[in-house]
Amino acid sequence: MSLDSALRATEILLALAFIQQSAEFMRRGGRESAIFALRLMACVALLSGVLTGAVLIVLVAISLWMLQRFQGPYNGGSDRMSLLILFCLTLAHFMPNLFWQEVIFGYLAFQLTLSYFISGRVKIVNPEWRSGRALRDVFAFSAYPVSEELRGLAKYPQVLWLSSWAVILFELFFPLALLNHWALIGALCVGAGFHLSNALFFGLNRFLWIWIAAYPSLLWFQARIFEGGF
Amino acid sequence: MLHLFTLLLPGLIPSWEFFKAIEPSPRVQWRLRASHAQDNDPWQEFRPRPAHLPWWVMLRRLFWNPRWNDTLYLVSLSERLMLSPTAHSEDEIFACLAKNAMAMAHPPAPQIKLQFRLIFVHREGEKIRERITFQSEPRPLSGLVP
Repeated sequence: MSLDSALRATEILLALAFIQQSAEFMRRGGRESAIFALRLMACVALLSGVLTGAVLIVLVAISLWMLQRFQGPYNGGSDRMSLLILFCLTLAHFMPNLFWQEVIFGYLAFQLTLSYFISGRVKIVNPEWRSGRALRDVFAFSAYPVSEELRGLAKYPQVLWLSSWAVILFELFFPLALLNHWALIGALCVGAGFHLSNALFFGLNRFLWIWIAAYPSLLWFQARIFEGGF
Repeated sequence: MLHLFTLLLPGLIPSWEFFKAIEPSPRVQWRLRASHAQDNDPWQEFRPRPAHLPWWVMLRRLFWNPRWNDTLYLVSLSERLMLSPTAHSEDEIFACLAKNAMAMAHPPAPQIKLQFRLIFVHREGEKIRERITFQSEPRPLSGLVP
């Protein structure tokens, strides 16, 4: 994947993710709806590829306002990934030459890889994750399961032990997928499936769309670094 | 400006330590109180989760999930209120509860007061325990609804 096509794919996926987020924000009502309507319109402009630089600046300004308004992220990690992608895209757009564009976009790919690897590392050093106890606790009493019925999964420790190790191993070994194009495609499919299950079981729908929006950066990065292509 | 930068920095250099440990989990309970009500008015859980969620609703929520995301924001505010209390966190929880109360089929009179408390659920051995960690002062609904 070329840098230009990866940047464009990221713009499109980010715009779609932001449209979904903005529509949800607008349902909150109040005067703030006008700002989210503006964000939504900026995303439509980003989708169409018109005045991309100006549109990215508007989106950055609204993101800074949101940080101030909610005194941090509204939706935890998904907002952090949203900020990261948006800032990398904006900086890459205004960089004076190809070298710095690649550095900035490569940083996004690096952080995406870290997002899996570090999550896996913190789990494998925790005995409660290794025994499956942590995932049982997630289902038993955390705020995330979307129905009481799902809490019943806490009664299946063997299934949760297996699931815990599947998640830990996937996250830890994710960086190795960078060594081969098809391995990376497979790992990204597994990653998307992982986020899909989190969205279904725990209602973390925004994570699914925003993580997928960062995937083109990794496809470009893998081709650029490990296969020497453009 | 410096404060905004401290809010921005974790977005640009994230820690990515998702579910490092399963911490005690907050539940928000609320009640409406007349001016001279007794302290034993019953509490109700804010947006208790449904017993069962059909698969098509779970699929729909991939695209449209504002209510649940608002509830997760309340979880985040509750955690912030315990870790580093600010008026913003308390005000935001009040605003969300007030909006919810006024959207009920029979909205309460504005002079009624709203109060909330936070209960943190955690595990001790094999037992699930609950602990009340915060109780707000009652505030008149009239001052909370725009």
